[in-house]
Order: sequence, then structure tokens, then C-alpha cells
Amino acid sequence: MNARRVPAGIVAAGLLMGALPFLKLPAFYESFLYLALFWIVLATSWNILSGYAGYFSFGHGAFFGAGVYTSATLAAKFNWPFLWTLPMAALVAAAIGVGVGAVVFRVRGVRGEVFALLTLAVTFVLATIVGNTPIDGGPGVYLNAVPVPKLGPSPTSSLYLMMLAAAVVTLLASWAIRHSRFGAGLFAIHDDEDAAEVMGVPTYRWKLAALAVSCALAGLAGGIHALFISYVTTAETFNLTVPLTVVLMSILGGTRHWAGPAIGAVAITCLLFAFTGGEYAVLGKGVIGLILVIGILFMPEGVMGKLRRKGIGSLSEGAARPHLHPHPNPLPQAGEGVRQPASEVLLRVNGLSKSFRGLKALSNVSLEVRKGEILGLLGPNGSGKSTFINVVSGHYLPNGGEVWLDGRNIAGLPAHEIARAGIARTYQIPRPFAQMSVLDNVAVAAMYAGRGLPSLDAGRREAMQWLEFTHLAGKAQSLPGELNLHQRKFLELARALASRPKLVLLDEVLCGLTPTEIQSAVEQIRRIRDQGTTIVFVEHVMDAVMALTDRLVVFDQGSMLAEGAPRDVMQSPAVMSAYLGVAHA
Amino acid sequence: MLELQQLTVAYGEARAVWDVSLQVAKGELLCVVGPNGAGKTTLVNTVAGILKPMAGRIVMDGHDISLLAPHKFCEAGIALVPEGRRLFTGMTVAENLDIGSYLPAAKARRRETLDEVLALFPALKAKLPAPAGELSGGQQQMVAIGRALMAGPRLLLLDEPSLGLSPLVVVDMFNAIRKISASGITIVLVEQNVSMAMRVSHRACVLELGRIVAEGSPDELMKRPEIRQAYLGV
Amino acid sequence: MSFPSWTLLSQSVLSGVFAGALYGLLGLGLGLSWGLLRTINLAHFAFAFLSAYICYQLAAVSHVDPLLTLVGIVPLMFALGAGLHWLTDRFRLTPFSSLLLTFGCMGIVESLMQTLWTADPRKLESHYAEMKFRLGPLYLPIPEVLTLLLAVAITVAVWAVLRFTDLGKALRASAEDAPVAAAFGINQRRNGFLLAGTCSAIAGIAGVCLALSSSISPSQMYAWVGVVFAAVMLGGLGSALGPLVAGIVIGVSEAVTMAVTSPSWAPLVSFTLLILILLLRPGRIR
Repeated sequence: MNARRVPAGIVAAGLLMGALPFLKLPAFYESFLYLALFWIVLATSWNILSGYAGYFSFGHGAFFGAGVYTSATLAAKFNWPFLWTLPMAALVAAAIGVGVGAVVFRVRGVRGEVFALLTLAVTFVLATIVGNTPIDGGPGVYLNAVPVPKLGPSPTSSLYLMMLAAAVVTLLASWAIRHSRFGAGLFAIHDDEDAAEVMGVPTYRWKLAALAVSCALAGLAGGIHALFISYVTTAETFNLTVPLTVVLMSILGGTRHWAGPAIGAVAITCLLFAFTGGEYAVLGKGVIGLILVIGILFMPEGVMGKLRRKGIGSLSEGAARPHLHPHPNPLPQAGEGVRQPASEVLLRVNGLSKSFRGLKALSNVSLEVRKGEILGLLGPNGSGKSTFINVVSGHYLPNGGEVWLDGRNIAGLPAHEIARAGIARTYQIPRPFAQMSVLDNVAVAAMYAGRGLPSLDAGRREAMQWLEFTHLAGKAQSLPGELNLHQRKFLELARALASRPKLVLLDEVLCGLTPTEIQSAVEQIRRIRDQGTTIVFVEHVMDAVMALTDRLVVFDQGSMLAEGAPRDVMQSPAVMSAYLGVAHA
Repeated sequence: MLELQQLTVAYGEARAVWDVSLQVAKGELLCVVGPNGAGKTTLVNTVAGILKPMAGRIVMDGHDISLLAPHKFCEAGIALVPEGRRLFTGMTVAENLDIGSYLPAAKARRRETLDEVLALFPALKAKLPAPAGELSGGQQQMVAIGRALMAGPRLLLLDEPSLGLSPLVVVDMFNAIRKISASGITIVLVEQNVSMAMRVSHRACVLELGRIVAEGSPDELMKRPEIRQAYLGV
Repeated sequence: MSFPSWTLLSQSVLSGVFAGALYGLLGLGLGLSWGLLRTINLAHFAFAFLSAYICYQLAAVSHVDPLLTLVGIVPLMFALGAGLHWLTDRFRLTPFSSLLLTFGCMGIVESLMQTLWTADPRKLESHYAEMKFRLGPLYLPIPEVLTLLLAVAITVAVWAVLRFTDLGKALRASAEDAPVAAAFGINQRRNGFLLAGTCSAIAGIAGVCLALSSSISPSQMYAWVGVVFAAVMLGGLGSALGPLVAGIVIGVSEAVTMAVTSPSWAPLVSFTLLILILLLRPGRIR
């Protein structure tokens, strides 16, 4: 696999390009290349948060500007040696980013366009503050007196080499993140943040980390650029050009690919240069606008996205067949796992309550789930079954009560910690990560839930096992949208199992399936139980319920109505009247 | 009046309704029962025009309306009381009722129809200027039924009107439904609450996993094992 | 930081009101599109500026009365708005994609304006600009008064339509629950075109007001984006009266800040307000 080839390639290209200044090229080329590298750094760094995690920021200009002004101030006003100002520029930008993020990411509703506008506002606030305080104060900051470090034959070359180094670092970071456990987590956040959280991804920390890296790199580019233009003003630094251009470049090149933004950056820089001469300069912005319009309408996945569809571009997908050497921790074969006598309690729920705006969805529910059993949860529409699953898995916070798992009260913990404690769930309407492959969908669960695996490769290996278990191995590289409903339900199952949970909550897994498919699913569920996993099973398909469950609990209007062996429960008068009405009992 | 011919509807990826054929005569109250997930709401939403069938036809008064645009179904004489009410909660009760009579024919009769609706549900009179979201469940259900009646429909579709309501309110609700049926409007009633539904209907059918498994008069059906099987699995 | 005289303060408040009226007028169409059509239409600003330039061209060069240009501008903007709506509808764009798409449109229109009229600021020297009222020690320039009157009139008219007419109720119902609204016969496609066209027509009127009261240049478009968004979000999406009230609040806050401290601190007001709203009530936006 080309795991090592890409980073080596990036470094090699960097070294090659580093030799250019010594070839005595005309200054024009150096300026052009500098600009291209500049945009590569900005666009790629933006993409790390916005493309990978899906939090489109319109505020990249703020962090870039923070870097610009940090270097300008330290170099021009405090006479720091220029190279030392660069790490400071990165640090300050990252600090501001993390400061903003720490507050903003706490608020649940801030996503999509709200986040975009918020970050835009941050840019202008920062600009106003910088412009009105001694940092700038109005007249701008001059850096002509700052000595340029002698890295190359001319000042321009030296700056070129600095930006080249920044570009190499940025591209390496982008590639590394893309192919790491961290990156998989970001992509999960992109597709479905709530599901990712429930699957064990620590979304708040991950977003902050991505933001920190993104801002640091933008700040670095800003610092270098301050010396390049040598006269810095708030108007030029904090205007909308930076944020909007990076968005365009990344969308054009493809936000899901580590090199997408770089490709977009080079393309647009070439285009801009083509228009810089004479009367066509004015058209430049118009052409860019037109490209953006066409891009949004016809190529929302960007160039790399389109190429990937056609099967090309898998060079950096790293999505090859996982190695087939023996798995260190193979699955127990069917029938191997000894079925525990169903007496030891795994999960104890005490007085659980949940209300939604005055409506009591769960009222003081207490029940036990025993190790190794299949417990069925039944009840009419609106009785609280799904709410129960949502609360136990952490999707909702309870209003009262405790949930004891292995001697620990997990009620009220953030969903990702509940996942790490060993509880997994499926969704009634499957919620796979739509833009990740089937294999990666399962790998995310393997890496983050339960005890969690430390690397993307390990996660994929484990995932492959579970795909084989659920007969989906042939679809490992497909996108979830290419699967039919039956397969997607099995994908949900594979995801739930991949972390080897102690308890699996199945929410109406059979809904919508044909009778044959139901048979197959019932088989599968039996095999899962035979491996030693405890299952709580919400279902309406009565045949399956009767066939599979060891014990049944019936909910009605938020509380438990009956509990016991299946036949007994379903024939009790209380249950019959709840379902069929008093006349029938 | 209404005829469904081999209707098959997919809900997302899932086949929710399989090959369902039904006939509803004018003035009849047909009740569709079945457990959760049986496809009842999908069926009703398709007849209302919200979902498009994958196969089969919907014939209303002899006209095939299956392929009409969603907003044309109301013109054809069909009004829906959706599952969970789905009132426009940001608008007042009066405005919700106005939306019911949005189409020109209904709008012309707005005053008279409103009087009829208020005669049926006197409690709403005082609540006309209130935002619909602030009403109790039972009152909201009244508004939802009223909204549909304002359209002056020939066919009324009721999707689980007893959902989430306390038993006393449910009794009042079904009394109102009886009165509506008595006034000559054809009704298709979808319900999980089998006993109440059977008491008001002329005919009933049982839907399980998207297919009709039994059909007939309420008394006949209650004696047959299909209902118990469908709901309780025994 | 010296505390200004009452006259200066009152004049500031007044100019804040006038500025706010323009924010509100610009924000009205934007807020309605966003709230009722789920489209974030940045091209709104492009339409406004385009109208300003057309008004300038007809008035300064062809000597047409600036207010008369509305006769041509309003239908033209209506058509452009409906056309843009067709695009977002046909391609089923999410609110976010519409944000990006219309941003691209802004760039295209900016280039167009710059090609036709250059980047130099243009000022429409009309007889309106010279006229002003005097109210005691305060000056009320006619163009600004006109803007305020138009803003209030249009806002009230839109509010009345939304509140009292069946069309208004249909629009509100469709925004809240589209499938159920359709089940009662509401033709959303047709209503969408009508609304989109009207929003752009309002932008056109705002543009003419803009041309009358200040100088215009293509790059100025972006300066208004932040403050108008703040007005829309503060006032509430899909609300008719909200943006105007919020715009005036922002305008007055800015003007007072400028009078008390210095003009360059003004942007802080609207942007900080925007940030606070987004943090405290993001739910309002969805």
C-alpha cells in the first residue's frame, strides 16, 4: 500500500521546489509560486476543520490576520528576530481559535450556516479591535525595517522558502489527519455529529483540536505573509477575500481529499494570474464567482470528488483491502460462547424519567437486564420504548433516575462516554455516515466505542471481521447509499457490534423488511446472542419477538405495564387491554 | 367513492405498503387497524397526496388521481387529519382553520363551514385567537379535525386521532367522528385503539406488515384470530 | 472621549434611525427569503447595488427622475429574483449551498458593475439630495426621510399581507410544515416564485434609496453584509417588522457609539450583537 509513499512524495517535492531559487528564475515565477503556496497553506488548513468535520468557517481571515499582526507587531515593534515570530504567530492564532471554539462548540445549535456567520462576525470584531488599539491603531504597520532571514539568494526567495516549508508541513498534516483515527472521527462528525457522539467520538475535543491545527497553520501563513507584503493594514488583512477564496478553492478541489484544497488553490491562482494583466483584472472576481456558482450546482463534491466517483484518486484514499494476516482477537464461532445462565444483572435501571416540554415520555421506569439474555421491549405507539433506548444510550439526558452498568451510574454521562462503557445501539431508521465507506462506518465504531482501537488500520481490520459476520464483506468499499434497506440494517448491526459491547440496544431493526429478510435478521440476532452479547430489543414484528426473546417488558404511556416470560406477558389482561381496548379482553 | 388498486408505496427504502386493494363506498366509515409499523400512516399519507405510490392507482369518484401534484389532492375532495395533529403551531387556531379553507370553493363557504365546525366543537370558540401550539392535546385534535372539515371534503382521512389523548377525551372524539359520518362524509379512519374504532365503523380491515390480512364488518373481524395474531403474536 | 452636546447626540440618533431604516429595508427581503423559503440569498445585496447603479445611470446620465426609475427597476428585480429562485429550487439547494451560490453571484455582479461603471465611487447628484427639512436644530435630509418612509410603508404592507391575507397565511404555513400545507391545496412552487420576486423587488427599492442618499462603489456591497445580517437575526427570520426595528436599534447604537467614541469602533456594535444572538439563540435561525 502507498502508506509511506505519499508523505515521502510530499517531502521530495518540497525539496525539489526548494532548489528553484538557486536556479536564478525570473522574480515573476517566484512571486507566482509563493502565492500558490500561500493559498495552498490557507486552503488546506481551512479544510482540516471545515472540510473534514463539516464546520464551514467564514472566519479563516481572522486567524490569518492574527498571525499577520502577531508577526508584524513582534518584528516591527519589539524587534524580535523574524523567524522567532512565526511560532508565536501560529500560537496566538491557535489560542484565539481555541478560545472562540471553546465557547461556540458548547452551544448545541451552532452548526452549518450559524457557525459560518458567527466566524465571519469574529473576523470583523477582531479587525475592529486591532484597528482601534495600539496593535495597529489605524495607520498600519510597516515591516520594511525588519531584516529578512537569509535562507535564499534574495529576500523574495527566502520568503518563498519559508512559505514552501509551511506548505509542506500543512500538506503532511492534512494527509496524516486524513488517514488517522482522529481524521475518521472528524469525518464521522461531518456526516452525523450526534451519531458520532453516541458512537464514542469525543466531538467537542475533536472539533477544538481540528480548529487549533487549522488556526495555527493559518497564523503561520499570516506571519510569513506579513513580511512578504511588508506593509500591513486591517482593511487588507481582515477583508472577505481570504475566507471566501479558501472556501472556493476547497470546494473546487474537493473537501474530503487531503490534496483537494491544494489542487483548487493552484488552479485558482493560475486563473487569477491569467487575469491580472490589464483590463481583464476586473473580470477576475466575476469569473471566480461564476466558477463557484457552477461548482455548487454541478460539482458539489469538487474535482477530487468527481474523480473518486470514476474510480481514480484512490491513491490517497488508503482504502485498500486490509491485510489478511490472522486477527489477534478473532470472533468466537457460533455456539462457542457459553450461554450464561440468565441470572447475573448487567444493567439496572432505577426510577428513570424523561419529559419533553411537559409531556412525560418516561415515568419512573425501573427494570433489570440480565447478562446474556434477549430482553424484548414492547408497547403501543408513544409508550416510551424509543425514549428508553435514547436515554440509556445517552442520546437524551434523563430528568431523573439512575442507570447502573457494572457498578457505575452512567445516567447523564455524555453519550461518547456511555459508548466507551460498552453500550451500543442501532437506529430505527439507519443513520450510517453517508459519505464514508461501509468499512469505515464500522471502523469508527471499532475505534471509538467500547475499549476502542488506537489506529485506523486496526479499526479497519476489526471492522472487516464484523462485515464478514453480517455478510457485508463484499460491500466494504461501497457507500451506504448504495446498499438496500436490509443491508443498511445489517450495517447498523455491524456498527453496533464492532466495539464488542456488553449491551446492544436494537431499535426496531426489522421494520420495513420482507418476511425472508426478517428470517435472516432473526438468525443474525441469535448468533449475536450466542456470542455472549446481551441484547435489548424493541420490536413490533410479533413473530420475531416471540421467537427470540427470553423475557418481555411492556411499556404503556411511559411506564412499565408488565414483565416476564413472553407468552405470559402477552396473554395478561392488562397488556391485552392496552393493545386492543377493554372490550376485547 | 374511493378505490385503491394494488397500491404499493415505499417509504424511503422500506416497502411500507404492498399491493393493497381497497374500496370505500360513499358515506361509509372504513376503519384500518393494525399494529405499529404496519404501514397505516404511509397508506393514508399516500391517499392524501403527501407520498407518491410506487405502483398501483388511487381512483377517486372514477378519476385516477395517483399522479397529481400534492396540492391537487385537496381539490379532488380529500382532506387529511395527520397523525400527531401537525397543526401550524406558530399560527392561531383561527388561522389554522383558514388554511383548511384555502381553496376557492372552500373559501366561498368559509363562514358557514366555520359555524358548522364550532357547532361540532363548541370548546374551540373561545380558543380561536390562541396560538395553536398552546392548546391541550384534545383541543389540538379538535382543531386538526376542524381544519380538515373547513376544506369541505367528500373524503376525510383520520390518522390515529386518539394518539396521546386521555380516555375521556377519546370518547368525545369518537362521538364527534360519529356525527361527522352521520352528516354524509365518507371517512377512512386509521387507528391503533381497536375497540373504539370498531364501535364507530361500518367496515374494517386489518393491515399487517403492509398487507391487508382481513376485511369485513367489525363484529366479524373481532371474532377472527387475525387481529390477536397481528397485535399480540398469540 | 468627550461627551457630545445634546444637539450632536440627537442628530446622531436621527442619522442612526435613517441608517437603520436602510438596514431594515435591505434586511426585509433577506429575512423573508431565509425564514420562509429556506434560502440564504446573498445576491440580495447584489440586486440592491445593481439597482443603485441603474438608478444612477438613468438619473445622472439620462436625466430621468430617480424615483421614476423604480418603474423599470422593480419589475426587473422581481424577474431576477424569481429566476434565482428557480435555480435554487431546481437544484434543491440546502440553505448553506444557497449561501455559497449566491456569494458567487455577488462576485459576478460585482465584476459586471465594475466593468460598466469602474471602481470609482459614484454619487448621484439629484435635486433630492439638496433638499432638507429643519426640525429645530436638527437636519432631516430628504433622501433619508424618503428612505425611512418607504421602509416603514413597505414593512407595514408586508406585515399586513403576512398577517391578514390568505396568501400570507399560506406562506407561513408552508414554511412551518410544507407537506401538510400542500395537503390543503397550497401551491408552494408558485408562491415561492412570488415571494422570491417580491423580496428582490424590495431589494431594488432599497438600492434606489441607497443611490439617493450616499455614494456607491462595487466593493461597498460587502460592507453591508455583516450589519444587515445582524439586523435580520436580531429581528427574527421570516418576520416583517423585526428587521426594521432591529435595524434601527443597530443604527442608533452605532451612531451613538460613533459620536461618543470614534467612528472606527462602530462595526463592533453590530458584530458583537450578531455573535451574541448566534450564541444565545441559535435555535431561532433554524
